[in-house]
Amino acid sequence: MRLSSAKRKAFKRNAQSGSLLRCRQIYRAVGFHLLALSVALSFVVPGLWVLAASLRRPGTPPPRTIEWLPDPIAWSNYTLVFELVPLGRYLLNSLLVTAIAIPLTVVVASWAAFAMAQLPARARYALLALAVALRMVPLPALWLTRFLVLSELRLIDTFAALLAPAWMGSSPFFVLIYYWSFRRIPPALIEAARLEGLGPLAIWARIALPLAKPATVAVCVLTFVQYWSDFISPLLYLKSESRYTLAVGLRMLQQLDTTNWPLLMAGVVIMVLPVVLLFVLVQRAFWVGERIAGVQGN
Amino acid sequence: MSHRRYQRSLYLLLAPFLLGVTLLVVLPAGLSLGLAFTRYDGLTAPTWIGLANFRALAADSLFRTASLNSLLFVLLTVPLRTLLTLGLALLLARPRRGIGLYRAAVYLPTVVPGVAYALVWLWIFNPLYGPLNLLLGGADLPTPAWLVNPQTALPALALAALFQLGEGFVVLLAGLQEIPDTYYEEAALDGAGRLAVLWHIVLPLLAPWLLLIVIRDLIVSVQSSFTPALLMTGGGPYYATLFLPLLIYQTAFERLRFGEGAAMTLLVFFGVGLLILLTHRLFGGWGYDEAV
Repeated sequence: MRLSSAKRKAFKRNAQSGSLLRCRQIYRAVGFHLLALSVALSFVVPGLWVLAASLRRPGTPPPRTIEWLPDPIAWSNYTLVFELVPLGRYLLNSLLVTAIAIPLTVVVASWAAFAMAQLPARARYALLALAVALRMVPLPALWLTRFLVLSELRLIDTFAALLAPAWMGSSPFFVLIYYWSFRRIPPALIEAARLEGLGPLAIWARIALPLAKPATVAVCVLTFVQYWSDFISPLLYLKSESRYTLAVGLRMLQQLDTTNWPLLMAGVVIMVLPVVLLFVLVQRAFWVGERIAGVQGN
Repeated sequence: MSHRRYQRSLYLLLAPFLLGVTLLVVLPAGLSLGLAFTRYDGLTAPTWIGLANFRALAADSLFRTASLNSLLFVLLTVPLRTLLTLGLALLLARPRRGIGLYRAAVYLPTVVPGVAYALVWLWIFNPLYGPLNLLLGGADLPTPAWLVNPQTALPALALAALFQLGEGFVVLLAGLQEIPDTYYEEAALDGAGRLAVLWHIVLPLLAPWLLLIVIRDLIVSVQSSFTPALLMTGGGPYYATLFLPLLIYQTAFERLRFGEGAAMTLLVFFGVGLLILLTHRLFGGWGYDEAV
């Protein structure tokens, strides 16, 4: 009798701990989502403040508390900034630079990476080491003498000066992204193409590049962000205002009227929106590309 | 196509990249090395003056201030950002419902262009009607003058820099995915708590990745201090946020003292190299080479 009652107790305890376990799981899930949500909000909410600030009518007294929606909403700020500073022209310049930089980067970076992936081990490791070393160079160490090289090539005050990094694949990181995805292509596939008499260029165009689509998407997006955001090259290497890009235009807007926050924030939104939209659109490909970059590192 | 010819055409594909690297990195780096020992204004030919630039820099109080500020900025941002990145990666590592959105939110500030990012923070830090002080004031907390006060200007710039951590975040997520699930299961069978698993399994396996992002962060922190300093504080107040890249820019491009700028450039280069070596030592040389 005693035994069975002990058994019953044990059974009861088990059932209790089972529901306790479920309770704990739910608590944990709720705790996780609360924490993750508050983290995510702290990274995103300032963006909403900027949006609200960009819609406030210029000249009205600044708000005393945090403002989520100004009253009245001044959409006109977004046309006003284009009148104050030739932002339309700078926008076109930025688009032009990125439009040339992206294909150039894809070709140079993927060519170099394809050659790296196909070369014998010793050359491959030397080039990998070079790419990693390049990634380690602090850029300010190159500003001044790169200026001298560019002026020797008569490229100062041209778009070519802004595009110059595209000749090294824009970033050694992009070469590495392509390298890692080319190394995953089965060697037999390339061997077969070589037996059919195809050269490296044909194999790159018909086999390697089509198989590395996620890498291409990642490189295109990151290249766009790099040239769209570039502030230092136009600052250092351009002189004529007609060639300025959006990044420099935004600084001009700031120098024009340092305290006109609504207009400045409208300029900020104009510059940030394309990048954010692009990021949201291709987010999945972006993670895949970056994951290739990371995971294939071993 | 013969093997030989195939190899040769491979090098042709490599040529544009190598040419770009030579013109944009190797040649400029070499020129920096040479110009550092000359006086050069970009108009007349450079004249050799030996170590005079370096001697002048050693006695220059602005250079000393900028070096200390840069060092302080790096020592403030790199450890904090690494810890924050690690925490976020651990929090958001496992696939769950909505994890993609959380990760995207964390990455978002990283894609914001530097100029826009600086202007946004300039507004956030505005002592009177910036959102940060409105928030702090609403909670009856002290509202510092942030960028206007020499005491708080540098920490404020460091705080702004913390949120651009997407690259390291992705690297650590990738590193965490590399750890096989069986490790966790076995540790759970041995009765190890979550902290023990973190300390004895996750962190040692993550060490090469951590080292990678710390080194990357060191370099980026040095160069990324330029845009915020130029746009938000102009190096002030009272030189409190004068960093080396800003001083190099002013010396070389505004005052046209290229020789002195090159000498500073060279010192930055060695300084960063030294910091990388120290970090490598600090990590005990954990398999960084294998990670790359």
